[in-house]
Amino acid sequence: MDVVEPLLIDPGSGSPDTMGRIRRVFIESLHLNLREQDLRYEAKLDESVGLDSVAVLEFVTALEMEFGIQFEPEMLTIDLVRNMKELASYVDERVARRCPSREPA
Amino acid sequence: MRVTNPHLAAPEANPAALSAAKADPMPLVALPLVTLNDLLWLLYLYPIRLLARFLPRWSLYAIGKLSDPIVQFHARRRKARAVPWIAEACHTTPRDAARIASQSLSNNMFRTLDELLMLRPSFDKMLCCTFIAGMQHLENAIAGGKGVVLTVGHFCATRVCLRYLASKGYAVLSVHNQRPSNKAEGRLGRFLQPHFIRLQKLAYTDHVYLQDPDCSLKIMGRLRRGGLVVLQADGRGATRMVEQVFLGVPWLVATGIYEIVRLLDCAVVPMLCLGRSTGFRIRFDPMLAIRPAPSREAFMSANLPGFLAALEKQIIENPEEWTLWNHF
Repeated sequence: MDVVEPLLIDPGSGSPDTMGRIRRVFIESLHLNLREQDLRYEAKLDESVGLDSVAVLEFVTALEMEFGIQFEPEMLTIDLVRNMKELASYVDERVARRCPSREPA
Repeated sequence: MRVTNPHLAAPEANPAALSAAKADPMPLVALPLVTLNDLLWLLYLYPIRLLARFLPRWSLYAIGKLSDPIVQFHARRRKARAVPWIAEACHTTPRDAARIASQSLSNNMFRTLDELLMLRPSFDKMLCCTFIAGMQHLENAIAGGKGVVLTVGHFCATRVCLRYLASKGYAVLSVHNQRPSNKAEGRLGRFLQPHFIRLQKLAYTDHVYLQDPDCSLKIMGRLRRGGLVVLQADGRGATRMVEQVFLGVPWLVATGIYEIVRLLDCAVVPMLCLGRSTGFRIRFDPMLAIRPAPSREAFMSANLPGFLAALEKQIIENPEEWTLWNHF
């Protein structure tokens, strides 16, 4: 039986739903032979599987499609993309900016 | 970053190329102390580079002309290998192919001298563009708003032309391979390699290296701002490659550029740069028609032959200016 890792969300990280979706997009867009639960939220994404630069781009564009957002050019850095918590936080912020009604009060 | 993990499917990655890329360099003790190639690089990196700081361009070119016989002698075996290839690809006689091989080598040497001149703060004022054709193609592509990928081949004047375009307000992000072209045949050459890389970094102001982990993200950022990125379509430094026939021979084509185009839907404009800093010409061809496709593989099948055909045409029209004939 697979042991599912508990979600431990740091302050400032994205919502659990967003993190789960990001993890799914990461695996699906790069056709990884991994189960979602094998990918720890704390792990650096590129170090977990060894990505080349184009794979990073594929992942980012897949995220944009999944969430209906567009990354700001100045935010396109490997440091943001490799860190799932920071990435989820950024994605949540972009989604909220796109849909102001969903912003927390 | 390289594809290093078996979890990551990379169906188009060429195993031979990947294993070559990962191969450990030959141990120092197995190398000769010094080779003619190393000596040429030593001359280039130090005395000629120092002279290039203050000598007038014509005298630097005169030094280049004087060294031409040495360069031709040094490359004689590579030239001999290139002649049948040139003759077949360009549908010409072996005699003409030999002339093309020699001229390509000379032009390449003047390119390296131009790269030393690029280090001068006043280099922009030394640039002499004699002709630009097809500027409307570039403007149309920029007007699309999704950024423009300029595809070029390994032509001698490309870097000079990019510098000129930047001075005219068309800043172009260029992508380089950090593995130096200095092949480090001897121990001296191995010692010189880091110095050569440092020199390259000084000469190229607006660039990103293929080896940078966020290389593609930087390209994406530039394109998202509606900017220009130049990529060498005949470049062989990459982790993702497919084998295609190019100029009549099997060629490992780096596919990263095409994947970027597929993912970002940007415009692709072939650019041709000819000449040297004393007089160069730039030509922009019409935007390439991109056929959308549902998958990476289908996109490559639909578009790669067209992209390569455009580049082959440029090379066959200007064989003396293409630097890769004598490279292998």
